[in-house]
Amino acid sequence: MNVTFQLNGSERSVDVAPLRRLLDVLRTDLALTGTKEGCGEGECGTCTVLLDGVPVNACMVAIGQVEGRRVTTVEGLGDARHLDPLQAAFVSDGGAQCGICTPGMLLSAEALLRRRPDPSDDEIREALAGNICRCTGYQRIVESVKVAAERRRTGGAGGAP
Amino acid sequence: MTVADLAGFEMKRATSLADLCSLLAERSARNEATVLLAGGTDWMVEQEMRKPADPSASTAVVVDVSRLGELRGIDLAGDRLRIGAATTYLEMRRHAELCARAPMLERMARDVGAEQIQARGTLGGNLATASPAADGVAALAAYDATIVVRSVRGERRIPFGELQTGYKKGTRAGDEVIVAIEIDLPPAGSPWIWRKIGTRRAQAISKVALAGVAAVAGGRCSRFGLGMASVAAVTATLPSVRKLVLGAPLAGLDHAAIDAAVAADITPLDDVRSTGPYRLHVAKAAVRGFVRQLG
Repeated sequence: MNVTFQLNGSERSVDVAPLRRLLDVLRTDLALTGTKEGCGEGECGTCTVLLDGVPVNACMVAIGQVEGRRVTTVEGLGDARHLDPLQAAFVSDGGAQCGICTPGMLLSAEALLRRRPDPSDDEIREALAGNICRCTGYQRIVESVKVAAERRRTGGAGGAP
Repeated sequence: MTVADLAGFEMKRATSLADLCSLLAERSARNEATVLLAGGTDWMVEQEMRKPADPSASTAVVVDVSRLGELRGIDLAGDRLRIGAATTYLEMRRHAELCARAPMLERMARDVGAEQIQARGTLGGNLATASPAADGVAALAAYDATIVVRSVRGERRIPFGELQTGYKKGTRAGDEVIVAIEIDLPPAGSPWIWRKIGTRRAQAISKVALAGVAAVAGGRCSRFGLGMASVAAVTATLPSVRKLVLGAPLAGLDHAAIDAAVAADITPLDDVRSTGPYRLHVAKAAVRGFVRQLG
């Protein structure tokens, strides 16, 4: 099945088995390995991407269901030379340790900040409830999201890592 | 590679409900199975667990219904709420009228996994999968919801109480599509409960979940509905408790009698999530808590 969708702002077409997981198409067919696989059953949130701006687990989305939709992966936030404010805050404020959960955390946080530019701690924790981290204990992640929110509101950019 | 990667696995996109019903009628007449795929929160995981050697899967037809307009949307007309079967839990949570008039549904939808699951999961999908642990189905049981199904033979309304016949079995025919759920809401401000007991607040399947709605006047319930997840082979409707409470003077309700009615209605099992005795204990406490809340 041919599937055409918007990926990080650009139109992409793939010709793949329609029930292939969006996760596999991103990582294998499109070589976008920023999206990680954790549990593969929708429990851990590691493979979180945005589908029409809403966080979903890419391990549970059939590529055939993505026709005509907008997908945002971590590669769509920023790059190594110019980090998005969220990425920069995760670096500066200790939101990332081993890094496996980080792309998913960033996208869940991105969806939250688009909807709520000044979120409370509870709102951040709820938005990240589907993203499991085994390193940080979460506090630094919550703080990183608050720092990024503040920088976004005051026009502060990301920057070099 | 998993079963779903195989090229023989055909996917169709539903473009109209009428076409979908025709397809299901043809395939059903030939005894061919058709999978209707909404959010995929159960089905995609099941495919991942299966091996490509499974011959039954190689000719399967999957129809994507996740964006079929006739299965989507939320409408409130007076006290009648209609929710399209492919409406997601996240869409329910973010619908202002639904949140105002059906707060129990909103509270339940918050507890269905985390946002990634809420963004994909649907009431129709949960009804079709028919897991007795489904949060959404317990809420529909409490509301005594009506399930609207459609086939080439026409539209049919199934009262919740006639929907389930056994573990993952029900009265919906193989060629019938779940179109919508209709709920007659209690008056605004009526008491309700949603209590989900699991290992953590997010992402946990319940050990026990209780949904309840009531309408109270003059110290008695004129309406009293319960639904309980994870305590029986089907979503429990607790008929003995309903009979005990409905119409009775609330002040005179004896807690021991409530406990006995709960025990008469459910015989929960031991499984990986909990034990039968713990579930029964928690179920009694949750029901008592709701009855106490009614005054």
